[in-house]
Amino acid sequence: MLKVDGLSVRAGSVELVREVSFAVGPGERVGLIGESGSGKSLTALSLMGLLPEGVTAAGRATLGDRDLVGVPEGRLKRLRGRELSMVFQEPMTALNPLMRVGTQVAEAMTLHGRGRREARARAVELLERVRLPEPRQLARAFPHQLSGGQRQRVMLAIALANEPGLLICDEPTTALDVTVQKQMLGLIAEVAPALLFITHDLAVVASVCERVLVMYGGRIVESGAVREVFTRPRHRYTEGLLAASRLTPRGTRLPTIRGGVPAAGHFPDGCVFRNRCPHADDRCESAPELTGDGHAHACWHPAD
Amino acid sequence: MRGRLNAGLVAGGVLVGLVVLAALVSFVWTPHDPTLVDAARKLREPGGGYLLGADKFGRDTLSQLMVGARTTLYVGIVAVGIAALLGTPLGVLAGMTRQGWLAELVMRVNDLVFAFPALLLAVMLGAVYGAGTLTAMIAIGVATVPAFARVARAATLQVMVTDYVLAARAAGRRGGAIALRHVLPNIGSVLIVQASVSFAIAILAEAALSFLGFGTRPPTPSWGRMLQESQELLFSTPRLALWPGLAIALAVLGFNLLGDGLRDFLDPKLRRIGAEG
Amino acid sequence: MTLYLVKRLAVLVASTAVAGVVVFAFMALLPGDPAEIALGVNATPEAVARLREQFGTDRPPLAQFLDWFGGLARGDFGTSYVTSAPIGPQISDRLGVTAVLVLGGMVVALLVAVPLGTFAAVHHRDPLGAAVSAVSQAGIAVPAFLAGILLVFVFAVRAQVLPSGGYVPLADDPGEWLRSLLLPWLSLGLVQGAVLTRYVRSAVLDVMREDYLRTARAKGRGSTGALWRHGLRNAAVPVVTVLGLQLATLLVGAVVVERVFVIPGLGDLLLNGVAGRDLLLVQGVVMVLVTAVLLINFLVDVAYHLLDPRLRGPR
Repeated sequence: MLKVDGLSVRAGSVELVREVSFAVGPGERVGLIGESGSGKSLTALSLMGLLPEGVTAAGRATLGDRDLVGVPEGRLKRLRGRELSMVFQEPMTALNPLMRVGTQVAEAMTLHGRGRREARARAVELLERVRLPEPRQLARAFPHQLSGGQRQRVMLAIALANEPGLLICDEPTTALDVTVQKQMLGLIAEVAPALLFITHDLAVVASVCERVLVMYGGRIVESGAVREVFTRPRHRYTEGLLAASRLTPRGTRLPTIRGGVPAAGHFPDGCVFRNRCPHADDRCESAPELTGDGHAHACWHPAD
Repeated sequence: MRGRLNAGLVAGGVLVGLVVLAALVSFVWTPHDPTLVDAARKLREPGGGYLLGADKFGRDTLSQLMVGARTTLYVGIVAVGIAALLGTPLGVLAGMTRQGWLAELVMRVNDLVFAFPALLLAVMLGAVYGAGTLTAMIAIGVATVPAFARVARAATLQVMVTDYVLAARAAGRRGGAIALRHVLPNIGSVLIVQASVSFAIAILAEAALSFLGFGTRPPTPSWGRMLQESQELLFSTPRLALWPGLAIALAVLGFNLLGDGLRDFLDPKLRRIGAEG
Repeated sequence: MTLYLVKRLAVLVASTAVAGVVVFAFMALLPGDPAEIALGVNATPEAVARLREQFGTDRPPLAQFLDWFGGLARGDFGTSYVTSAPIGPQISDRLGVTAVLVLGGMVVALLVAVPLGTFAAVHHRDPLGAAVSAVSQAGIAVPAFLAGILLVFVFAVRAQVLPSGGYVPLADDPGEWLRSLLLPWLSLGLVQGAVLTRYVRSAVLDVMREDYLRTARAKGRGSTGALWRHGLRNAAVPVVTVLGLQLATLLVGAVVVERVFVIPGLGDLLLNGVAGRDLLLVQGVVMVLVTAVLLINFLVDVAYHLLDPRLRGPR
């Protein structure tokens, strides 16, 4: 379905994402985990062709047999919203405040050829599918009349309008209340086709995804089945991440990864993690490749 | 002070500096007496001691320009001064007061004053007290009060919700103290920018008034009046319109650029507040 | 929403009344007695007294004000103390001319500002956009009457294609009417257009950064399509508010432009009135101008509320 091969993203002279490669099969739920600054959002945006001004992508990414990177806007826009779609993080600002909700959902369909009346009817159906109450009335509402959770469901409806093969979600629940989060995740898990779910929250990935990719410093450092990676992490960063998120018994200190995430462009050469890794040595000055089938890692001194 | 020196600031500063220089120099020296009528030199072409030529009364254009710069700056300073001194407290009051009705009242009065454009006020004032530089200054000043009040209020509202003001209020500080110690220093940069922009508008207003005959009375030179006098001779001697026109445009441009440059220099985020005159 | 409308309308009426008081009080300060001035220095006290009675200026100020303001509300502007001509018709005759002048100027300004401003915003990172910005910056520095003189010089003196002044009523000769208004419209419109361009640019730039544009593109719109369909409508909101302010400035600009091009509009009437010390006339014209500004502000407020559903209140 989605195949990414050597994708790089740079802003001017700074390389923000380095040689990222992965794949998402049809119907598969893949999580992309990383902290702020790891490059995960940019990876997703470059797949959609929605990178901000001044940021460019290189490399290869294909959806089925169609190229996504390096393709002119005219061709890309026909794929967006139809073959692949995206739900963003901020529901409060993602909708046009001057247009009714139903019209905005319908727009996703009219852009790709559906008739207006049909699109409007289907918009109501979609709003119902994402479990919004009174969908017919809600379609006539304006975004400011909806709560954050409701708006995010609308975004989901827009994303699913044309039955895309791949849904990309970029931290869709981060801005929502915890209880609303749970409902939203359940909904996404239920309705999504192939899913690329980007987040920094390990628990979310565990509940929604089958496979996970761990990103740090613009590179994928570990990948594999969720159960495998979370119970037996190989890369030291993943190890640290998991340790830090485990609830510890009283009296003991919360384990942390020492140091902080460097600013973009200031990651060390060789292994991106070596300036914070307790197991680093001279070998780590050259960048490790992602090795291993199924459960792969890019580390000279993996955990066992 | 944050921000870096930018093109607008420099260009604006240079232009304004030129005008100020011309005005200052004119106190000490001008090529000729700008008010001296000399029939023999009527409409003299540029050359000799008359660098830019002479007008239909034989008065030297350059000298008139220099002394006119004085009028321009004079009017600007007084008008903006009046506007700032009256408008800022009003705006701060409206922004700080807890009494909704007071804020509403102040803003409504503001809107009302706003409905009397500077020109209209000057005409009315001139009709009663006789037109001249003083009435022009007062009229323009009063007409500019709403702009300052609005900007001051908007900026005050922003400051009022900051943490340090909330802390001050929680600590029991009275309104006056908060205004002086917290509000004024923080809205200062916005007001400076507004002053620059209003200065430019004041220059335009004075020029228009002088053009209509409601501004500076003869024989004191004024760029606006020079333009008006040049109109009838436009077909034969267009250069008479060129110089005062250029002077006005450059002075206004200078203050506008300066205002923009100051805005970028002091805080680029301020771009939203107070773009109107 | 309707509650807001009613409140706003009440404010409008109150403001107009207060404005009336201000104008009246102002003119009441005018030195000299209208009756004396009308009859001249050699008039007998009895003649003056009789004329004062006729004018109504012998009554207390409050009564005079109420009379005058009440008359205004009915459309009766009174009769001039100086020319003995009814003021109302003079004003209504010229109101149309000034209105056409102002509206034409507004249209020109919009025609200039919307495309240029949008262009400058879309190209804000490259030299073309910067050039447009610079030109608009220069345009602001030129007062309308200077633009007028410049245009007269270029089109009337040098090229000799347009008249340098004068006005031909529409009824007399539509072609000449248009020709006589072209340069005045340009003088007003180009300058206001420069000012408006900056606002349009700023509004479009703000909108360009909004998330909902990205959402539109994620649905499948190209970047230009997203800007057109979603961006411009949202950018229109702040621009409309500025339009109201601009109309007030245009009104003032019209006063001056009427002098430059010798157009018989309200501005011309006002200035003549002041020169001739025609008290009642000046009062009337000033009231019309001020009311126009207040009305425009009211309409802009309403339009703003209509355009932005967030301001319309709960469902």
